[in-house]
Amino acid sequence: MPPKFREPVRLNLKPRTIIAIAVVAAAAVFLGTSFFVVDTTERGVLTTFGRFTRTAEPGLHWKIPFGIQRNYNVKTEVIQVEEFGYRTDKAGLQTVYSDREYPEEATMLTGDLNIVDVEWIIQYRITDPKAWLFNFSSSERIRTIRDVSQAAMNMLVGDRTILNVLGPERTAIETACLEIMNDTLSSYDMGVRIIAVKLQNIVPPKGVQQSFEDVNKAIQDMNRLINEGKEAYNQEIPKARGQADQLIQIARGYAAERVNKARGDVARFASVYSEYRKAPDVTRERLYYEMVEQVFEGETSVELIDKELGNFIPFKSLDGGGKR
Amino acid sequence: MKKIITALVILALLVIVLVAAGPFYLVNEGEQAVVVRFGQIQSIEREAGLKFKTPFLDNIVVYPKKILAWDGEPQRIPTLEKQFIWVDTTARWRISDPAKFYASVSTLDGAYGRLDNVIDSAVRTIITQNYLREAVRNSNAIQQTKSSESFETGDAAGSEALGQLTQVEVSHESITKGRRALAQEMLALSQELTPEYGMEILDVQVRQIKYSDELTESVYNRMISERNQIAQAFRSFGEGKKAEWLGKLENEKRSILSAAYTESETIKGKADAEATQIYSETYSRDPTFFSFWRALESYKKTLPKFNKTLSTDMDYFRYLYGTRGR
Repeated sequence: MPPKFREPVRLNLKPRTIIAIAVVAAAAVFLGTSFFVVDTTERGVLTTFGRFTRTAEPGLHWKIPFGIQRNYNVKTEVIQVEEFGYRTDKAGLQTVYSDREYPEEATMLTGDLNIVDVEWIIQYRITDPKAWLFNFSSSERIRTIRDVSQAAMNMLVGDRTILNVLGPERTAIETACLEIMNDTLSSYDMGVRIIAVKLQNIVPPKGVQQSFEDVNKAIQDMNRLINEGKEAYNQEIPKARGQADQLIQIARGYAAERVNKARGDVARFASVYSEYRKAPDVTRERLYYEMVEQVFEGETSVELIDKELGNFIPFKSLDGGGKR
Repeated sequence: MKKIITALVILALLVIVLVAAGPFYLVNEGEQAVVVRFGQIQSIEREAGLKFKTPFLDNIVVYPKKILAWDGEPQRIPTLEKQFIWVDTTARWRISDPAKFYASVSTLDGAYGRLDNVIDSAVRTIITQNYLREAVRNSNAIQQTKSSESFETGDAAGSEALGQLTQVEVSHESITKGRRALAQEMLALSQELTPEYGMEILDVQVRQIKYSDELTESVYNRMISERNQIAQAFRSFGEGKKAEWLGKLENEKRSILSAAYTESETIKGKADAEATQIYSETYSRDPTFFSFWRALESYKKTLPKFNKTLSTDMDYFRYLYGTRGR
């Protein structure tokens, strides 16, 4: 090593080494900047000196190195979601939603000048990566999609009554919102397409929720009262019908009995009478005595009094005397 | 060897200096450039690519060619009927004439300042000139649609009556313009000035309209009272229905039982009549014998229960006490 090279920095650097390092570095940069990978979910956009050259399908691609050609990968196959009026903190088996409220997104005026809180999501996909990259300011793209969605939703809710927004018009709103958004966004030539608009919670504002709830309760109350009326009715009327039936059945029984008895009585009378006619006097006598016997059968102490006497005490002493 | 290295280094330095200060510059997609020489606009580059310029003399100012967004602060504005509402608008714009833009505004921050002035003022003007309903609604479709409570009473006629009872009968006034038209007016008003700045406003979107806070309170109260009135209607309808059922119950119970009474008495009467007929038909063949027979039957039934004391002059005893027996 000649003594005139004194600088310690350059101690071991032979020109050869420097060139070798430079070549290796250049090769590394060359290789590092000549290839790019486009994922299945993406499309690549290639520019040469900043000018759009071509789009690239998924796979490994070559480009002119040293930043002369640049590639931008855009997630064109992924369906992206924006939430309005609420945020998902962490999606999962049990999705966690943010506690924060977003009245600046959710609060809307309905056509009948009521207030309603609307939450919804949109799903969109980038359809034209070139337009997406170069036609709209990158920091404002998503905010613009959100703005357009909010404006459309506000307008649609503003065209309907609160009751219709809360219930029957949901689907109509979703469809119309989708259409309006796509119209507006295609006028910007933004390269996105809205795939779906889904309304989530639509609720009256906090301050009036209770009274809306109360109407539901009132409907329940109403049905309860009606049921109570029906219950009382059902409790009494079938019973009354049964009782009515009972009354009639008893009457029928009475009728049958009465008629049968009459028939029986008459039949007996008729039989006796036909015999009686053959020997009226004897039969009369016989019947009379039979009656008296039947009446006094089993009697042990019958008192007899003389019709001529005013008082019957003397006859008490005659007990037994009468059986002479 | 040493010389070669020195030459290489010098060459590299030269290239770097040339490229840095030199005749090349890049215009990316979505950008446009103004070439300025000593404060004078030399040319405008609207296409992307590698461009030339005069080294050291030309200065390049790059502006976005993309559509840009403008986001306004919500403004509290009175409508034509003096109701204060918050109006939140956004707009889309772009630099349409970079030369004019360079001359009159030059920076994006400056542009946003201009837009604030122009659009805010347009929004304010249009909102104050129109009724609230024009800003809220977009069409008269609301007049056609029926909005009613959804409920189930299990009785079609009752549901209909109740539906009418709970119907919030509001005839919505017609609008002549609607929100979209107002946004168009705002846009037109804003567009009057911006060409001067080399800017073009593409659209103005009303992102949100809401009541001012003090108005919100009274709107809540109105909504609550409206709901309460409807809840009352439901409850009262329920009470009424219940009373109706109870009345029906009383009515039917009495009718059923009295009808049964009528029927049963009729049946009994008919039976009595039939029995009477049967008796009289047979008995009337010999009324004397019937009288005798019936008396005996009656005695048999009644006498055993009596406390008996007999008079001696009974016919029965005619042999006992009479002369014929002795």
